[in-house]
Amino acid sequence: MGETIVDIHNLNKTYPDGTVALKNISMKAEKGEFIVIIGPSGAGKSTFLRSINRLSEPTSGEILFMGKDIVKAGKKELRTLRRNIGMIFQGFNLVKRLPTVRNVLHGKLGYMSSLKGAFGLFDQDQVEEALGILKRVGLEEQAFKRADELSGGQQQRVAIARAINQSPQLILADEPIASLDPNSSRVVMDYLKKACREEGFTTFVNLHQVDFAKEYADRIIGIKDGEIYFDGSGDDLTDEVIEALYSKEKEAVAG
Amino acid sequence: MKTASVNMEAPPGNKEKRASGLYTEYKRRRKILLKTQGTVFGVIGLLALWSLWGTGFNLLSIITGTYDMFVFMFTDLFPPDLTAIGSLIGPALDTLYMSYVGMVISVVFSLVLGILAAENLTPHVIIAKVSRAITAFLRSVPAVVWAIILVAGIGLGPLTGTIAIGLSGIGILGKAYAEVLEGMDKNQIEGVRATGAGWFQVMGQAVWPQFKAGFVSWSLYKLDMNIREAAILGLVGAGGLGYYLQSSISLFQYQTAAMAILMIFALILLVEFITAKLRERII
Repeated sequence: MGETIVDIHNLNKTYPDGTVALKNISMKAEKGEFIVIIGPSGAGKSTFLRSINRLSEPTSGEILFMGKDIVKAGKKELRTLRRNIGMIFQGFNLVKRLPTVRNVLHGKLGYMSSLKGAFGLFDQDQVEEALGILKRVGLEEQAFKRADELSGGQQQRVAIARAINQSPQLILADEPIASLDPNSSRVVMDYLKKACREEGFTTFVNLHQVDFAKEYADRIIGIKDGEIYFDGSGDDLTDEVIEALYSKEKEAVAG
Repeated sequence: MKTASVNMEAPPGNKEKRASGLYTEYKRRRKILLKTQGTVFGVIGLLALWSLWGTGFNLLSIITGTYDMFVFMFTDLFPPDLTAIGSLIGPALDTLYMSYVGMVISVVFSLVLGILAAENLTPHVIIAKVSRAITAFLRSVPAVVWAIILVAGIGLGPLTGTIAIGLSGIGILGKAYAEVLEGMDKNQIEGVRATGAGWFQVMGQAVWPQFKAGFVSWSLYKLDMNIREAAILGLVGAGGLGYYLQSSISLFQYQTAAMAILMIFALILLVEFITAKLRERII
């Protein structure tokens, strides 16, 4: 342990309409850490994750990843950085009309030439690797089905497989289980944690479920009103802290 | 706690009032709805009357006209001159070429203009507006008008028809493609972009799978329409069956003209049949 993978300094994000989503967020994450981010809806959890791979542009600040500042990266550099950051979304974001295996192969796009990637000309090694990863998430039998024929939990596992196939240093999971039933949620979280252990990448997961956070996280970060409110282990996250994190003082006074 | 207990007592008293309040609200909305419906149908009716008057429509001329039409069809057009088939094959092929090449021209240029015009793919909003303006202009000029203008420049013949069809097609397909592209699920695109994929890769792997069905369907629809347009374009000298039809009518060779009409009919059915089959296959 000890190698810093992500080093964030004074990250700020203000939307064009004036909404302040992130205020001076600073934090470090180490290699292999499984970090769960919790906090009330609208606190900025999603914006925080999406700022790290710049699907949402930060207003100011610094995000050092693999020794480079993501915020200042040019187009080409950003692509190289993105291929080292796997992303998992609440709505899975698979290309629904394409077969499962092709969605997993998309993890390799960042390593391919533009045209080869555009036409989907993946070579044998790449296909074998993708099929191997699908097997690891227990979906080898679904490899040639269209992605939208799979259940929600299965689609999310395909998304995990796509992320693993990027051989990433970091995985960002934005509410990965918010649209799944408790059973599939557990399966998805188990696979995610297992992959994090086996591959040794750092993982950031946004969650609504505090119990899941306590169960799976090495470290929990609580975000409230765009700021880091809590940063510690699951044991430090007492009921009082949770209540304070989720309470909305202004509304309580008004009501 | 206090507010909670007050709230608990409040509902019974309010319930009846609220229900009757809701009912008057229901009546009020219902009235507004009926009024709007009445106005809409009224306006449609008035417009219809105005147009009937404007076109000098009268029932009698339909009845006598139908009679004259049948007389014309059976004495002059009938029987179609079957021996003309041989000389019709060339023009029929011309019509087919015009429609097909016209479609290819439209597809190629519309792809570029459509991508530039789609708000979610365009490099810049201004480029999207310009692209939209170009397609709107091309669309607002009918193919026949293009043909008349082009005949003056290029001269009589199928090339004129092809370009006329191609130009007006860009107007239609450019708009259709842009709309299909704008209807795409942006989450799927984001998912691929997050892997580090570049522009071409996102286009090939996330946009194309979503665009394909709409693209094929609209392009084939345009081919269907082109066959009809190509036949009409011939009337202004742009080659093909229409041209043949026009010249035989002006020479009072109605039975040859009848054969040309049958040929156009057959061609349209044939192309529609083929495109329907293709559509089934591809989508």
